[in-house]
Amino acid sequence: MRIMEELSVMEKLEILTDAAKYDVACTSSGTDRAGDGSGIGNCVKAGLCHSFAADGRCISLLKILFTNECIFDCKYCLNRRSNDVPRTSFTPEEVCELTIEFYRRNYIEGLFLSSGVLHSPDYTMELIYSALYKLRYEKRFQGYIHVKAIPGASLELVRRVGYLADRMSVNLEFATAEGLKKLAPHKTRKNILAPMRMVQNGVTQNRYEIQSYRGAPRFVPAGQSTQMIIGATPETDYEILHVAESLYKKFDLKRVFYSAFVHLNDDRELPARTGEGPPLLREHRLYQADWLLRYYHFEASEILSEKEPNFNVLFDPKCNWALRHLEQFPVEVNRAGYEMLLRVPGLGYRSAQRIVRARRFGMLDFADLKKMGVVLKRAMYFLTCNGRMMYPTKLEEDYIARNLLNTGQKLPEGADGMTYRQMSLFDDVRFGGGFHEENLCVQG
Amino acid sequence: MKRIYVCRDEVTGLLSALYDAWRGVVVDGVPECGIRFRGCIEQELFCEYTEVEESEKKARAVERLILRNLGWYAYKLIYQAALSTDALKGDAILGAMLEARKIPDSRRIMDHLGNAQVEKVFELSRNVGDEVHRWLQFLRFGELENGIMFSRFEPKNRVLTCVAPHFADRFCLENWMIYDETHQEYVVHEAGKQWVLVTGEELNEELAGRYSDGERMFRELWHRFTDSIAIEERRNPGCQMGHLPLWYRKNMVEFLSV
Repeated sequence: MRIMEELSVMEKLEILTDAAKYDVACTSSGTDRAGDGSGIGNCVKAGLCHSFAADGRCISLLKILFTNECIFDCKYCLNRRSNDVPRTSFTPEEVCELTIEFYRRNYIEGLFLSSGVLHSPDYTMELIYSALYKLRYEKRFQGYIHVKAIPGASLELVRRVGYLADRMSVNLEFATAEGLKKLAPHKTRKNILAPMRMVQNGVTQNRYEIQSYRGAPRFVPAGQSTQMIIGATPETDYEILHVAESLYKKFDLKRVFYSAFVHLNDDRELPARTGEGPPLLREHRLYQADWLLRYYHFEASEILSEKEPNFNVLFDPKCNWALRHLEQFPVEVNRAGYEMLLRVPGLGYRSAQRIVRARRFGMLDFADLKKMGVVLKRAMYFLTCNGRMMYPTKLEEDYIARNLLNTGQKLPEGADGMTYRQMSLFDDVRFGGGFHEENLCVQG
Repeated sequence: MKRIYVCRDEVTGLLSALYDAWRGVVVDGVPECGIRFRGCIEQELFCEYTEVEESEKKARAVERLILRNLGWYAYKLIYQAALSTDALKGDAILGAMLEARKIPDSRRIMDHLGNAQVEKVFELSRNVGDEVHRWLQFLRFGELENGIMFSRFEPKNRVLTCVAPHFADRFCLENWMIYDETHQEYVVHEAGKQWVLVTGEELNEELAGRYSDGERMFRELWHRFTDSIAIEERRNPGCQMGHLPLWYRKNMVEFLSV
């Protein structure tokens, strides 16, 4: 390890931002809180993105590590102890000053504080606690704070930090326990799920406290999230989505984030470098499917199955589902139920809500739909207005699929026949045992 | 004959015109009314043009009328639509208000998107609302020598009054000021007090350009931060442009050279 002496805040910020950027969760949503007039800051339910980086990802929070010194040796991580990189740490004062000064210039919506593991998980968690305490109580900061729980830290410390933060997250890292064991040998399923369960129970209990006692402190009001790395281990999309679904159902998570694996280290446990870059299309499809789970009343088993464990490269998951279930279409706009409208490709939940409200006043036709913001390019194959389709169309899978591909819409990168996986002799993804539910990370 | 009311393009003017036009249709029974703004009128044949006498009293009366009969939600959308740059917004708002008389529950008027005028009000307010939301994110403050946080921007719609309450809540103990260069208006907020809208004052460019000592350092820190947060392997300027169009970037620190 290189010993670094007295870096300036500028250099520290650069190093610790660079080290934090592979964490994808940077949302500031989920809580509404007006300022109380005694300090600085408030929170907006929808969240605000203050800028967008050159990679197109939003910059909402000051995303930094407290320290990039780490005793863990996770194979995929830039800060693993076996890497020779400059190491440094912020002091709690520096974190507070940066947050407040950026915040009052409207650069950021709050702070995202993660950390490498310095000395021990508990020691690190206490450092994080002291920084947040200073920020909340000395600087009277009422903006958004997202903080990572360090796997292995004592639950009491996690609980105390939870009263200072808006959102907490523990990274699940991989969908299967084997993946975790292989690539993150110092983390265990238990260490990750225990704080997650603790936060979940804390939030439930806190809901009761808030109702019973006026002025009860709020515990993780914006809920918790997690993230999984995609493409470093051989899991199928079905397994990943299945895990995400159980996390939403069993742990009441607000969000599951997916992070396309970026090759930072060379390690024999990691997949070989292919020169294709991170699996962005796969990540994109996972997010689309994730939305279907959360807002569109879909089940993971409807989107993918053991027989078809990976996403279609050409169509988004909803389109893909509709093409497989043409017997349920076309849908009559003026009569169909809200849940059925949600399943029409090209109709978002906002347009579906608008349709349901507007049709009380009279019949809707395609011109009205267009004005409401429905993407007719896709929806027109699946909809009728007053019993008529927009153009005469055949309700055949091939016909619709061909036309959807012909709309001149730019296909996502990687969908031009080049896929994100290296061709190999063992191209069948079910090769080697396939899907075993008991292997998934959230079981047990 | 169609009667057209002419007013200034700002909220009080428009509401006064709505007052007159509403009276024209509902009380005098004029078959068709329109509202145009001084300075951007396309003369039409077979129309009678009337100047509107603008007053706060009329504006308040219309506000009360809308709040009482159409409810808070419709009021919010109509107010936002009134801030739009569209030249025919007055006609749309008047049309929507008249349409509300015809449906059983006037408070649901903004759900009646099958009607062209209602749809237009909805569209305009969505456009203004989107711009407001963007400016809440992309406005940047700088600390001047005298400690005031100063921000300038060039919005398309007249969004300043929609932006101000957010910052008044957020920075309640700061002295700050936002300058709208397009419409030459200011919002000024003194620590711990209400914000005020100021019009007809000229900006002292010299004072507004003198930043405090710390300002330069935090600008550079922010520059470094935004540069190093991007992942090179995922570089995607098209995506960045979609979320953050170039015209918003004019006063954003991270896109200016230090």
